[in-house]
Amino acid sequence: MRQKSRRTWSRHRSALLLTAAGIAVVLLAALSTFIGVSDVSPLSILEGGPDGKAAQLLVVSRLPRTLALVLTGIAMSIVGLIMQMLVRNKFVEPSTTGTAESAALGLLVVTIFAPTLPLFGKMVVAAVFALAGTGLFLLILRRIPVRSIVLVPLVGIMLGGVIGAVTTFFAYRLDLLQTLGTWMTGDFSGILRGRYELLWLALGMTVIAWIAADRFTVVGLGQEFTTNLGLHYGRVLALGLTIVSVVTAIVIVTAGVIPFLGLIVPNIVSIARGDNVRRSIPWVAMLGAGFVLVCDIIGRVLRFPYEIPLGIVVGVIGSVLFLYLLLRRPSRAH
Amino acid sequence: MTHARTRIFSLGILALSGALALSGCASAPAEPAPTKAAATEIDVEHVQGTTEVPLNPETVITFDMASLDTLDALGVKVDGLPQQNVPEYLSEYAGEEYLNAGTLFEPDYEAVNAAEPDLIIVANRSAAAYEELSKIAPTIDLTLDWENYLPSFRTNVETLGEIFEKQDEATTALEEIDGKIEEAKEQATDAGTGLIVMTNAGEITAYGSGSRFGWLHDELGLTPAIDDVDAATHGDPVSPEFILETNPDWLLVIDRDAAIGESGSTARQVLDNEVIAGTTAWQNDQVLYLDSVPFYVVMSGLGAVNQMVDQITDGLK
Repeated sequence: MRQKSRRTWSRHRSALLLTAAGIAVVLLAALSTFIGVSDVSPLSILEGGPDGKAAQLLVVSRLPRTLALVLTGIAMSIVGLIMQMLVRNKFVEPSTTGTAESAALGLLVVTIFAPTLPLFGKMVVAAVFALAGTGLFLLILRRIPVRSIVLVPLVGIMLGGVIGAVTTFFAYRLDLLQTLGTWMTGDFSGILRGRYELLWLALGMTVIAWIAADRFTVVGLGQEFTTNLGLHYGRVLALGLTIVSVVTAIVIVTAGVIPFLGLIVPNIVSIARGDNVRRSIPWVAMLGAGFVLVCDIIGRVLRFPYEIPLGIVVGVIGSVLFLYLLLRRPSRAH
Repeated sequence: MTHARTRIFSLGILALSGALALSGCASAPAEPAPTKAAATEIDVEHVQGTTEVPLNPETVITFDMASLDTLDALGVKVDGLPQQNVPEYLSEYAGEEYLNAGTLFEPDYEAVNAAEPDLIIVANRSAAAYEELSKIAPTIDLTLDWENYLPSFRTNVETLGEIFEKQDEATTALEEIDGKIEEAKEQATDAGTGLIVMTNAGEITAYGSGSRFGWLHDELGLTPAIDDVDAATHGDPVSPEFILETNPDWLLVIDRDAAIGESGSTARQVLDNEVIAGTTAWQNDQVLYLDSVPFYVVMSGLGAVNQMVDQITDGLK
């Protein structure tokens, strides 16, 4: 009896906390919406009316940017979580497995051979490359006998380095280094209505991931185990990899690489809320959105009216947190 | 500065007289270095020091497109250059009879060494290679000073004029440009405010006084649309809203994607959006797309400055 009431209480508390976190994210989103170079505030919108400049900017520029940030935060964090489940290692995410670098290589190939391809086509090519790169990472992992916690992300970072070097070489020879630079640093300064909508597709993929979350956990336990439970190992693995690759490609095509996001968010959630994936997914989504919003606000405010790209802010904060997680207590990671 | 220039000049005169005395040798190109006397060399002061350079050097390799441009205008042919980014109007230098000396940033040291040059010119993009290159041959660094764009450009033209004994041509060319600059100044000063931006892979960066395009403000007198001009010297990322808020009368656009021959997202596409449509510049059709070849690739040089100044005069009408 007592056991049961305690569990109910804990569930209540958890729901309450999640609601509070949700409110915090909404407040951050509101703050993000009203920070910018032009005067857009609830007051100026009321004064100007629905056709005023402020209201128009809100629809054309502010809401799209805030939405893009929230969608990216949710999608990249959950994609990180999926990778961690598939590989069974807490230090992987698209930017530590060669996925992001492969997507950028794909984008470079499109830029060289078919620069006029529409955005969706570019995304598809980048996603195919990302898929190939991630697959290669998994193949290499399978051939490595010692799979220590730190070795797995190191292999990924090395693979990313090799792919990145190839990309840099061609970008260098073809004078596309600066273009490559804009892909490799996530930047939301150019986001407007009509230039972020692919991210809704990323959210769609993320929802699929949410539904299939348990299966990814099972696949992480190995082929035999998965088959014993009556699941098709190959299919679930392919689904996971596709989601990871497509989401990474979409984010790179729209804004650029946001490093470490998919790594630190799931890890912080795991430290705070434990490892029950189904229960931690809403937290990962919430924290991901909140973290991206905070970093973008910092990037917009520090050098106002100029901007520091989001990728740089996340990179700085993220690499410090990444090191902290690495050095903290290795035993916590599985 | 003037002190240095007089020194170069007097040395130039000295060298010139020496060269005249040895004109017999000079006209026989088959017999180069050994017979040259000390007087056929001049000391050239440049950004990274002073270098003894043979007067009227025979084999010249330039990593600086501006110097290539100036020398071509002065009637001097160089022998080697990075052939990848040769602008259309200098396209003959992309031909096989010229040595491909690497890229704008990274020399092909072996090729340079094999060519046994008498003079190597580096500048902004290749300045880091100065040390290595000066081991191969006399090297001068003609890096342009963005904050003193026109004086710096002038000094470089004069220096090249002295080295190649084309002082008269250089003076005439500079005088001609001076006239054009006066015209451009009048146009720019009366044009209203202006904002210089560059687009690259869909991103917009803004440039102000003291930046690589800052001379349009500092020396041609175009009123900057941003009050806080100092902040925008290095091309900071800005949002379309930033452009709406600074609301310039003129928007001057450098399309980097076009500069490197990428036809994907050109500046027009990037800027054609609902936010920028609200600016005075867009509504009055006062968006000036600057030719990225002189503005971004060559950056200075007799031909390029002529083109740039013409474009400002015509564009801001």
